[in-house]
Amino acid sequence: MEQILSIALNISLAIHLVLIAVCVWRVWRGENLIDRIIGLDMNATLIMAILVLIALITMNPVYLDVTLGLAALGFISIVALARYIADHKMF
Amino acid sequence: MNLEMIQFFFQLLALLAIIIGTVFSISGVLGLIRLPDVYTRLHATGKVGLFGVVFLLIAEVFLTPAIISKGLVLIILLIIGGPAASHALGSAAYRAGIPMKQAIRDDLRDSGLHSE
Repeated sequence: MEQILSIALNISLAIHLVLIAVCVWRVWRGENLIDRIIGLDMNATLIMAILVLIALITMNPVYLDVTLGLAALGFISIVALARYIADHKMF
Repeated sequence: MNLEMIQFFFQLLALLAIIIGTVFSISGVLGLIRLPDVYTRLHATGKVGLFGVVFLLIAEVFLTPAIISKGLVLIILLIIGGPAASHALGSAAYRAGIPMKQAIRDDLRDSGLHSE
């Protein structure tokens, strides 16, 4: 059972790496500004997924702390960018 | 029902959660590529893409019961924070005047509640 779990985790890690490449292409060739910010948001979500997968593969709970910091930072930066686009001021 | 059986059951649930989370992530990125509009893309990434991470964290909670608190805190933070960020982005897109493709009607403009 541990072997099947390890194989599934590694396949999922490879799939998430391909998805990150697709999201970076989307940020590069976006239609407008909001589109690119959506791509960045999805990129942060996929990086969080990859950190959780690495924490599961190596059984090291330090990566979950990194995920916690990345989640808080991503939320605050996306809200600040959205407010800057809507009102043309940051605070 | 001894300890080994319980561990096997948890590993089975974790395997199921990993597969479901990967499928959610794939469909979220597919929606980001294929959908025609900013608002529909926001729908795909904000709801579907977020649940990929949530299901992977559920697998983490099942596999390592010793560090269950970090996973639960992350699940709650993501479920509260993700839709709030998506709503802020959608509101910013509407105020910046980005058009909706293939839209039949605009309830927010017709109701007069949205101030310019």
